Amino acid sequence: MRKANAWRIGRRLRQVSQALFFLLFIYLLFAALQRRVAFPLADLFFRFDPLSAMGAMLASREWLPRLALSLATVGITLLLGRVWCGWICPMGTLLEWLGPGPARHRTSSVPPQWRSAKYLLLIGIPAAAAFGNLTLLVLDPLALFTRTMTTVILPALNYMVTAALGSLYPMALLRGVLDALEGWLRGSVLPVQQPLFAGNWLIAIVFVSLLLLNRLADRFWCRYLCPLGGLLALLARISVLRPVIGASCVKCGRCSNVCPVDAIQVQERFRIVPSECVACLDCFAACPERGIGWRPVTVRSASAIARELVWPAPAEVYDPSRRQVLAALGAGIAGVVVLRTNPLARSPDPTLIRPPGAQDEALFLARCLRCSQCMKVCPTSGLQPALLQGGLEALWTPHLVPRLGYCNYGCHACGQVCPSGAIPPLDLEHKRQAVLGRAVIARDRCLPWTHGVPCIVCEEMCPVAPKAIRLEEVTVPDDLGRPVTVQRPYVINERCIGCGICEYQCPVEGEAAIRVFRASA
Amino acid sequence: MVRKITRRRLLQWMLVSSGLALWSTACSGNAPAPITATRRPVSAPTAGQAYLAVAHSEDAAAATRAAIATLGGMGRFVKAGDNVIIKPNICTDYHPPEYATTTNPLVVGTLVAMCWEAGARRVRVMDMPFGGTPETAYAVSGIADATRAAKGEMEVMSPLKFAITSIPRGKDITQWEVYREVLEADVLINVPIAKHHSLARLSLAAKNLLGVVRYPNRMHRNLGQRLADLASLIQPSLTVVDAMRILVANGPTGGSLNDVRQMNMVIASHDMVAADAYAATLFGLRGEDIDYVKLSSEMGLGTLDLSAIKIEEIYA
Repeated sequence: MRKANAWRIGRRLRQVSQALFFLLFIYLLFAALQRRVAFPLADLFFRFDPLSAMGAMLASREWLPRLALSLATVGITLLLGRVWCGWICPMGTLLEWLGPGPARHRTSSVPPQWRSAKYLLLIGIPAAAAFGNLTLLVLDPLALFTRTMTTVILPALNYMVTAALGSLYPMALLRGVLDALEGWLRGSVLPVQQPLFAGNWLIAIVFVSLLLLNRLADRFWCRYLCPLGGLLALLARISVLRPVIGASCVKCGRCSNVCPVDAIQVQERFRIVPSECVACLDCFAACPERGIGWRPVTVRSASAIARELVWPAPAEVYDPSRRQVLAALGAGIAGVVVLRTNPLARSPDPTLIRPPGAQDEALFLARCLRCSQCMKVCPTSGLQPALLQGGLEALWTPHLVPRLGYCNYGCHACGQVCPSGAIPPLDLEHKRQAVLGRAVIARDRCLPWTHGVPCIVCEEMCPVAPKAIRLEEVTVPDDLGRPVTVQRPYVINERCIGCGICEYQCPVEGEAAIRVFRASA
Repeated sequence: MVRKITRRRLLQWMLVSSGLALWSTACSGNAPAPITATRRPVSAPTAGQAYLAVAHSEDAAAATRAAIATLGGMGRFVKAGDNVIIKPNICTDYHPPEYATTTNPLVVGTLVAMCWEAGARRVRVMDMPFGGTPETAYAVSGIADATRAAKGEMEVMSPLKFAITSIPRGKDITQWEVYREVLEADVLINVPIAKHHSLARLSLAAKNLLGVVRYPNRMHRNLGQRLADLASLIQPSLTVVDAMRILVANGPTGGSLNDVRQMNMVIASHDMVAADAYAATLFGLRGEDIDYVKLSSEMGLGTLDLSAIKIEEIYA
């Protein structure tokens, strides 16, 4: 007969907390649906992310006040350990829900040494950030999850719902219901235009791989790979309160059975490893003796459990050796050097058009968290995850692809959601003056220029006043040699802001007859 | 563990897969058959009613009411139980109404209220902006607030509701994808704002119809005739040209108050061509100068001879 255990309420609270934070995360993603004024707290989770904050502040050598809330996460970790991982992180929650279940049966295949991988990734981040590089932040769990949701899952969901509704539409009987459903969903939950993201397949592969790895062990990502988890694990070693299995232990093993991260060392008289524990309270609730609880660390203690309460926590077998740490530091630095010795360093890809206000490439790369919140909120889906356009260093940073979507003259949402200010929070007036690039007419494709066919769509669309595209009336021979009078467009460079709506709307099939190229700094 | 395939499981799978197959066949059932417009024709004005009304007022609501009253009241167009769609010009989400790029919200709101007064069953307002999302454009234009205040519905035009539609009278285009609801509504009220446009010269009522079709940019290759063809299909029941403020240059996107002229006028007629021809005079042009107006007239869609119709000017 088990004794009533109050920690069961704690465990339930943790489960509720996970579900609430997960729902909040998903809600914020939907709230960031294509609005010109972004939902004010759309980047809330990132503000609490100390890994992103550390990386971006180190790389840009600036104090980024918007990321200061991450100190709260540091604080709670110093008090109780990896509460973030067990109670808040939506990625961890998802992996826990999708995990194979009781840990014990699955873990034997993964050697514990793999746990050092997260530390090595973690060490690589500040090493590279010291040189202004944040490429490894693509592995931040929030960025990873947001990016996957933005570019893979939500567009696919929209496609599915739209296709399903569309296939039912011809049935007259259902039209009333479908109309109501469409009216309710479209523009509020579902975007009016299907978002399309180039290279979403690679982002999908990465995410699916993590889900598959999760079959090997509960929260595989959190245990072995997550660099944010690694950072919090380091902090947890010096936490003030530690979960400890007390003297009443009867060695039944229930605690280690339920532990989702396999943090209980059965061999060492049921010691809980503070750096691995995610404070989920499952073992607290499972202990038939109610023998597990938080204890303050005591530097000097004569009790039997003193060994577990020393400060800082003792080293584990899988802690990286000094040699490994140095190797990770070296690899981080060497990686930056290799990525930077690339022809793009001399002349950037002319199609790499950065979001408004983010034209200083080095500064942008030193601040961008690779979180893709800007791509989520961009009302035209013009902001796309770069694959190699900016080199591997700029993997999955946002860039404008005007043929897919233009930078809307009435919108400044990307700067509002950007957690680190990589895209500055310009007000609408200033954002309208930010020059992203310049339009160039391809005179060998343009309808009036080439075929004598009337078309002024680019001029019509140009949002600036006075327009950056002007028209010149000329009489030219058409395709059959007959003289026709058409208006030929030309671009006035100083007025063009490179928003790309001309390229987006150009009715020429395939590549547009007017294209925007990166503004040279 | 070996999972046995039981008869029950096999049957379940067969049921599910045949259901999916059926559905996918239904999905791939090609494009729906072209539909044609079936709007109730509008009666010609009777003795006491103006053919075209021009109302002057500093108050857009008063001007709108006066113009419609001069035509014989909203009851001439909207019958009890009608499903009404009002199509203003909400081309972008760039500027508030003072910039004269989108239809005056008071004009739209007043029309919504008048439709209810005439006994309409449903009144919706919609457009497909080319700059920004519908939701933000609706908000920035002020039309969302005005419509809601008048208890009308703002509809975000769904990509699912466009249907390939044959244009029997079309000279250049014989079919196009058109927003189904607009064709099926009992009453369509076209409410453009009069403004400059480089290719068409002016963006008026017929040009405003570009907001209810797919691929509007492909219309530009032969804009005049294609707009006339489209007008022959859609044939709004009532045209109300908002000329409270007009945009005389840098259209249709505007952006400078220097290009805006305060005219304080609302022009209304059942004849879209006549309304456009009159609105053109505000820019010092004639209906003949605007290709789509001229070609619409040639197709018999209305008259551009302003001397031949009964025009009433009212000062409200």
